[in-house]
Amino acid sequence: MSGNARRERLTPDQFRAVVSTVLRTGVVTAAALTSVGFAMSLLVGWNGSLLGAAPTASAPTDFSRLVSGLLALRPVAFAQAGLVVLIATPVLRVATSVVGFWLEADRLYVAITLGVLVILLGSIFLVH
Amino acid sequence: MTLGADGAIFAISILAGLIGALAGVGGGILIVPTLTLLFGIDIRLAIGASIVSVIATSSGAAAAYVRDRMTDMRVGMFLELATTTGAVVGALLAAIVAQAFLYILLGLVLLGSALMQVLRLGEEMPPEVEPSGLAARLRLASSYPDARLGREVSYAARRVPLGFVLMWGAGLVSGLLGIGSGALKVVAMDGAMRLPMKVSSATSNFMIGVTAAASAGIYLGRGDVDPTLVAPVALGVLAGAMLGARLLPRLANRQVRWIFLPVLVVIGIQTLLRGFGVGA
Repeated sequence: MSGNARRERLTPDQFRAVVSTVLRTGVVTAAALTSVGFAMSLLVGWNGSLLGAAPTASAPTDFSRLVSGLLALRPVAFAQAGLVVLIATPVLRVATSVVGFWLEADRLYVAITLGVLVILLGSIFLVH
Repeated sequence: MTLGADGAIFAISILAGLIGALAGVGGGILIVPTLTLLFGIDIRLAIGASIVSVIATSSGAAAAYVRDRMTDMRVGMFLELATTTGAVVGALLAAIVAQAFLYILLGLVLLGSALMQVLRLGEEMPPEVEPSGLAARLRLASSYPDARLGREVSYAARRVPLGFVLMWGAGLVSGLLGIGSGALKVVAMDGAMRLPMKVSSATSNFMIGVTAAASAGIYLGRGDVDPTLVAPVALGVLAGAMLGARLLPRLANRQVRWIFLPVLVVIGIQTLLRGFGVGA
């Protein structure tokens, strides 16, 4: 392979540390948002609002309602945002790996990982 | 949900995350029956919660597994090429394939794999081989620090084409049935590619998050993921998975097999029963 053609700018250990950090950050952020939502729900109920806005009927499933829900301090919006971050974490991990293999100068695995990323994003966006 | 029910779901989810992280599966086996049978929650929402629990198990455990070199990232990425393409084909075929038949077929495959697992129960390490052919070209050979044995263990993948085909099948099944198919992934890596059990489990764990993320977007958009129900599940599973990830490096491969086998049998029976229209 072309592994030694270019000098690697990232050691395997550094690569692992970066991927591990991406995963941990995603998981901790998701858990924090969900926990905040849960704590808030004890005060005003899941569909209420800490700012006293009218209760919603359901969880926000599109981005603009998610943002407005967060701005109105709705518990359900915080829990939903936590879920979105959680679901995005594996995708982000694959994207990070593309860069990681590139910096490790492993072109074969850049191609493989890029292939996975394209299929993954395609399967997420094609169905919408 | 009352606070008491949330607490019970949280506690069971910790267990699901723990078992999932150790056995390389998503924890749906515990989450779905708990929510439907114990709490009478609609199967659609229970499956939505289970998809999220797969991602939580995967990302929660993988942060540690990747750092501790338990996960083989090259094996994982290479095989994800198989699982993701399989999953897309499965999703496209889902409308025209009889699900009941598929569940029965998959149940039989899983129970057959369980029999093979019994034969390997006492095995601590697969026989050592030099990486050759595809495994050498794809760099599917590495080593991991075994805290239990107190030494670095080298390994190389064998029968790469067979492993790839099995993984494609696991992806296909995920797309067709909307399940994580972590058990099949462990079977493919341990049984066909002969990677050490802990590496198989940790690498399966790493992979199931990607498989589930591909379908989770669909479930979320359809409103099948109820955040008020999923909140205690996700938090519990994350906690359990992080705990499991600290435990796995210290277990012997043999012990991991003893955890994986009953999980495999239960999943096999559940899948078979679902094919006959029984249970969740």
